[in-house]
Amino acid sequence: MPGVLSRIHEVPDDLLAAIDYCYEQGWTDGLPVVPPVVDRVKAMLEGDSRPAETVIASHPATGLELSLHAAAVNAVMAGCLPEYFAVLVAAFEAMDRPDFNFHGSTASTGGSAPLLVVSGPHADDIGMNADVNLFGPGNRANATIGRAVRLILRNVFQMIPGISDKSTQGNPGKYSFCIAERARGNPWPLLCEEQGYPPGVSSVTVFAGGGFCNVENHGGNEPEQILGSVADAMANYGCITLGQSVVILAPEHMRIVGGAGWVREDVQHFLFSHAKRTVEGMKGVGKYRDREYDSQHGEGAHALVEPGFVHRGLSPDDILITMGGGDAGGHSCFIPSWSRGRASIMQHSPVGVRIDRAQK
Amino acid sequence: MQLYAPTSTTPKRKAFRAPVLASLQGTRIGILENGKLNAEEMLAEVAQLFVQRHGCTIRTLASKSNASAPAPGNTLVKVAQEVDFLLTGLGD
Amino acid sequence: MVLCTEPFKVTARNIAGVLGLPDYPFLLVQHPIGSCTLPELKARAEVAYRQALPILLQA
Repeated sequence: MPGVLSRIHEVPDDLLAAIDYCYEQGWTDGLPVVPPVVDRVKAMLEGDSRPAETVIASHPATGLELSLHAAAVNAVMAGCLPEYFAVLVAAFEAMDRPDFNFHGSTASTGGSAPLLVVSGPHADDIGMNADVNLFGPGNRANATIGRAVRLILRNVFQMIPGISDKSTQGNPGKYSFCIAERARGNPWPLLCEEQGYPPGVSSVTVFAGGGFCNVENHGGNEPEQILGSVADAMANYGCITLGQSVVILAPEHMRIVGGAGWVREDVQHFLFSHAKRTVEGMKGVGKYRDREYDSQHGEGAHALVEPGFVHRGLSPDDILITMGGGDAGGHSCFIPSWSRGRASIMQHSPVGVRIDRAQK
Repeated sequence: MQLYAPTSTTPKRKAFRAPVLASLQGTRIGILENGKLNAEEMLAEVAQLFVQRHGCTIRTLASKSNASAPAPGNTLVKVAQEVDFLLTGLGD
Repeated sequence: MVLCTEPFKVTARNIAGVLGLPDYPFLLVQHPIGSCTLPELKARAEVAYRQALPILLQA
C-alpha cells in the first residue's frame, strides 16, 4: 500500500512553463500534457468513492503500485474529464489480473499496447466514439482514456521506452488504443451482455494488442468471402500464434454476415477453422514448435482443430468479435495478441460498479 | 502552481545477494529457463562448463510457463533448497 | 546467475535497481539467443562462464 499521496512540485504560475516542466521531468509520452494541478486531480478523484490511496493494480515484477490518486494525476495529464475516470480504473483492475500479464505485454520486444473496448451504455454516456474513424483521433474520451493508460504505464510502472519497454518497433496504439463497441445497428448481443453483466452495466475489455491490420474487402457479398479475408489476415506468418484475436467487423461487412443470419458463434467457428497454416509452412518460416503444436492438438483439443495444421488460438472463444466503425467502407480490422504464444489473456471488468465475480 | 507527481509512491525495496561460495568443486546447479527459443539449451551449455571443469552437478531444471512473470514462489523456494547456485536468463 | 543479452542490459539494471539491488552483476552475452546455432550457443556459454566465476567466488 503506498500510504502517502504523490509529492507536490512547485512550479511558476505560468501554464506554458508548467507544460515544459512536465517534459523536463520525463512525465510525457512525447506530446504536451495537461499539468496535473491539485484541484483538477481532486475533481478527477470524485469519480470513485474509495480512498485516494486505494491500490487498484500492482506490477507483478517490481511490486510498484497504482493508487487511485496516481491514476487520477495521470488521467488529468492525459486530458481526461472526471466522467472518464471509471473506465480507466476498471481497465487497470482488469489488467491487474495475473492472466493479463501486464508486465510482459508492456515490456516485451513484441510491442503490444493495451486495447480497451468499452461496451454498454456508459460509452454513450461519456460521449465515446464507436463509429467513423473508430481507432483514429478526434474523440476526447477515446483519445484521453487510452492516453492515460500509457501515461500510467510510463510514470507509475516505469515502463520507459528503451529501458524497461523494449518494444522493437513500437506500435501506434502505445499513444492511445481505446474504442467503444458499436451498439447502433449491431445485430449481436453486446460484449457486456455476452460477458454476463447485469442489464445496464457496462464493461471494459482489455487486450494486449500487438498491432492493427486493416482487412479490406469490397467485392465479397457472402459471409464466407468476407470472413475468408479476415481469416487470412489472422493467419499471416507474421501474426500466427496460439494467442487470442480481436476482430472488429465494419457495418458494411456485418450487413453481409449478420444479414445472412450468422451469429457471433458461427463467425468465431469459421474464423478459427480457417485461420491456420500447414505444419510444413510453419517449419518453412522457422516458426513451428513441437510443444505449441502439442498443446493445440493434445488432450482437450477443440473439435475444430485439424491435424497437420497450426491454427491461430486454441479455440473459437479466443476470438473476440464485434462491430465498430463507420457506415461506409468494406474495412474491418484484425488485432493480434501480443507474444509468440498465449502469454496474455484478455480480461474484462464492469465500469463504475463492484460485482462479485462469483455471483456474476 | 502546485502539480502532483504522476509517479508511484511505493517505498523502495531493499534486497541482498546470496553469499559467495567458498569453492565451486562439486556444487549443485539449478537451471530455471524462461521458455523462450534456445533458453534451455543456452543455460545448459553454461552449466555443462561447470560440470566439466569443477565437477558440479545439475540438480534441477525448472521451466517458467510465463517468460515475463516472476517464477512462482514455490518454484523458487523448492529450487533454493536443492542447489548452491541457479542459472537463469531474461529477455530473448 | 542471471544471463542476459547486451540490448537488455539497461532493462536488467533498471529492474535490479527497482528491486533493491542496483549493482547486481549480470552475465552479459551477445544478442540474440533464440536463433543461435549450437556452436554460437557454446561460444556465448564460454563468455558467460568466465563472467560467472568471479561473481560466484568473490565478494
